[in-house]
Amino acid sequence: MSTLDSVREGYQTFDDQRFAPVVKGAALFGLLAALPYIIEIDIAGMELAATLSLKVLILTIIYAYTAQAWNIMSGYTGQFSFGHAAFFGIGAYATQLLLVDIGLNPWLGMLIGGVIAGLYGLVIGALSFRFNLKGHYFALATLAFAELLRFVVTNMSELNGANGYFKPFPRDYGAEYGLAAFQFQTDLPYYYVILGFLFVVTLVSWAIKNSWVGLYFFAIREDERAAASVGVPSFRYKLIGIAVSAFFTALGGAYWSMYFNTIRPDTVFALFKNVEILLPAVVGGPGTLIGPIVGSFIVTPVSEVARTTFSNINGLDRIIYGAFLVAIVIYSPQGVVSWPSRARALWNRVRSDEEVSE
Amino acid sequence: MRHLVTSVAPLPLQGGGIDRFIEPFAQFLTDFANMEPVLLQLLAFGLLLGGVYALTALGLTMIFGVMDVINFAHGVFLVVGMYTVWLVSTAIGISPFVGIPIAAAVLFVLGVGVHILTVEPIIEAPQQNQLIATLGVLLIIQSAIEIIFTPDPQQVDLSLGSLQVGGVFIPLGQFYALLIALGTMLGVRAFLNQTDLGRKIRGTADNRDGARYVGINVPQINYLTFGIGAALAGVAGGSIALFQRFDPFTGETYLINAFVIVILGGLGSFPGAFVGGLIVGMIQVFGGYYLPGTTSQILIFLLFILTLLVKPEGLFGGANA
Repeated sequence: MSTLDSVREGYQTFDDQRFAPVVKGAALFGLLAALPYIIEIDIAGMELAATLSLKVLILTIIYAYTAQAWNIMSGYTGQFSFGHAAFFGIGAYATQLLLVDIGLNPWLGMLIGGVIAGLYGLVIGALSFRFNLKGHYFALATLAFAELLRFVVTNMSELNGANGYFKPFPRDYGAEYGLAAFQFQTDLPYYYVILGFLFVVTLVSWAIKNSWVGLYFFAIREDERAAASVGVPSFRYKLIGIAVSAFFTALGGAYWSMYFNTIRPDTVFALFKNVEILLPAVVGGPGTLIGPIVGSFIVTPVSEVARTTFSNINGLDRIIYGAFLVAIVIYSPQGVVSWPSRARALWNRVRSDEEVSE
Repeated sequence: MRHLVTSVAPLPLQGGGIDRFIEPFAQFLTDFANMEPVLLQLLAFGLLLGGVYALTALGLTMIFGVMDVINFAHGVFLVVGMYTVWLVSTAIGISPFVGIPIAAAVLFVLGVGVHILTVEPIIEAPQQNQLIATLGVLLIIQSAIEIIFTPDPQQVDLSLGSLQVGGVFIPLGQFYALLIALGTMLGVRAFLNQTDLGRKIRGTADNRDGARYVGINVPQINYLTFGIGAALAGVAGGSIALFQRFDPFTGETYLINAFVIVILGGLGSFPGAFVGGLIVGMIQVFGGYYLPGTTSQILIFLLFILTLLVKPEGLFGGANA
């Protein structure tokens, strides 16, 4: 038995333990928590921070978070939503609106936004699932619900129309910089806040996946009619999926509005925001727990690094990004998380070929 | 806290509560009761716009109907058509009308290329994968146009003037675009109904597996359909360039409205695309006149959602391309 086999066997024994997910989760989030410091380590005169700034890391975690939220509905139940910008935008607007107009603490405003988004999700779900919309039709319906909000907000002077909102300073609503006011003077605390968000949504996602709710979700994804025939109330469970997913996506929008200061309908409800939200999950592996996180670490830095590297030619970064999208879905339609098992399968084939030739 | 809000552009829809939504409809009904001449003018504009809209949806509905692929690159295909016509007329100096068939040819080649490289390898993969692949194509082509031709708006230099028919003003550029749209639609319909290849395409749209069993080369039909769909986008974009300024990003609004038209009319249905195009064109023209800001687009989305919910197969659902 080679060393590789014994390592694999050791890992297998570890993986079978009940505490394995806890250890893996702790290792992952420990690594993520250390990342802002890791990128500053000088390795042979080069540090990652030269290309990968803290801002890029924050953006990466934001999209890991929203993709994880999207995944709870679309990855688990298989109802492909192309309109999560609706929930994202609701969260962003509710938080800013309540903060600017009545000085409500952003943490409370965020939860209110989450609930409103959840309700909007229920409306979309109730209508779509009641009429049995599926596949492309469901994707286009969710897109329409998101675009509808973009035009409604743009045309409402009560919501500042196309101008949007600008985040006030903490003292404007009688607060101090800090966690309570959800406002910081440096980026590092912002990073840990969004990492906390990601931790919570991953935990929720894990809990759902390992409960009978998750079992129902996956049954619906695999074969809805078969699931219904053995008594899975698919309509109700799809609604649960969209409401939970919408709630968490809205919190992502709220965070966005606090970190980036300004929101406009054309940014938070943008057509392309729908894509940015779901992409990490699709790239990483839809329906998996680690997929959205891995996917975001592939998609977001590529996009950001391309943008800063090729800033002299406007548009070149988007060509690279587009080519990257095409390549990813063609060569890895199951997502990046399928790579280890594909590599293992390839390795086994090579080895068995060797044995045959011997 | 209002002072904190930055003010950049004038705000649409100032004040007035719910009245501001009711008032335009009341105004419309009053005009209708008085038989205002403006209504006839709006009707003419709606017809002109609707015909071109129908053409923008035609290629999309074909690809959707035959291959079950949402082609997000369709909007940017339109833009390629616009730039081809513009390039032919300004750089080479021949008539933009000659540019339109050239645009169709360019886009046929581009469409077949895009299909072979990006869609065909994943035609059996989950539906969303083709959507993401065509989105990638959209970004690549859009940015390429932006780099080559700058993001500034362009215009085909074509002063055609206008017609006056019974007090109704008809811009000739739009009128020719409508004629081209109608001619193209009839031509495609004849192609699908009369030719052998057209029948194979319809058969594949009807039943992919069945088509395979009776010996139709389905991958070949796929790339031909994608090419024809793209060529139709080229004609549509070229026609739009006859009367409108455009930039690399013009395709986005047309794409979204083309989706609405495709669903409204019924997936893969040609008469559906025509009627859907007219409806969307009319809403946009009448809404643009009576409603403030871009409120008419809200109506279009509401109609879209309503159609998806009540009759997802569309007005002409069930009919094949």
